Amino acid sequence: MIFADIIFVIIILITLGGALMTVLSGSIIYALMGLVTTMFGVAGLYIYLNAPFLAMMQILIYVGAITVLIAFAIMLIGPLYKKPKEWSYPLKFILAAVVALFSFFVFAKVILKTQWIVLSTPFAISTKDIGRLLFDRLTFPFELISLLIVVAIIGAVMLSLYSRGEK
Amino acid sequence: MTGMGLYNSLNIYLFIGLALLACGILGVVYRRTLVSMLISIELIMNGAGLNLVAFNRFVAPENAYGMAFTLFIMGIAAAEAAIALAIIILILRRYGHVEGVKLKEMKD
Repeated sequence: MIFADIIFVIIILITLGGALMTVLSGSIIYALMGLVTTMFGVAGLYIYLNAPFLAMMQILIYVGAITVLIAFAIMLIGPLYKKPKEWSYPLKFILAAVVALFSFFVFAKVILKTQWIVLSTPFAISTKDIGRLLFDRLTFPFELISLLIVVAIIGAVMLSLYSRGEK
Repeated sequence: MTGMGLYNSLNIYLFIGLALLACGILGVVYRRTLVSMLISIELIMNGAGLNLVAFNRFVAPENAYGMAFTLFIMGIAAAEAAIALAIIILILRRYGHVEGVKLKEMKD
């Protein structure tokens, strides 16, 4: 087993451990820390997939923006030690685990049965190619995403203003 | 990066994305507060982005559509998180809690 494989296995363990910590931990802030761990692991996987630009964007957008947003929301929600635990009764956990494992095994069977046509051509997509594609072929979806973000920001502001005026 | 390493097979990335999807489904179904459900949805979106980049790397390596759509997924996730957190703060102001089970006004 060569050195790159060892680091790859470590990154996989970080990702899966973070995901399990996100789902199974009892408090929201630990779940948020697990989400941060998962996102760093996925960024490492992007580097192994020859996409360093996406790894940077993953860390900047997810860890830098969305997680901070969720952290502020958790702080606004109130003191965590007064809240009850996240799990209510074990039957609900068993049913949820049955649903999750069912979907896992269905999609695992799909993955294993399908013969993916893996091309052996070397992968040489640089950041310049992604930028060319975004401003050449995919200009219309790109502008639609920006419009969507503007609408989301205005909607969030309007929601907070509306609730304040109602009081 | 050519060679016969462990990181050069498509199935490993697909199974990691699938594990993220399963963890997200488990969290959405079983978590109590709305913020935890939102965190689980972010897990599902991460798994989807990982799948797209893996397919782009192994199945269609001559263009970069998968990476571009992963960037779109990140933008959509940011917009969705902003809207969902605004709604959660609104629910907190009106009802005083953020538990998904107790929000059953429209069920009655």
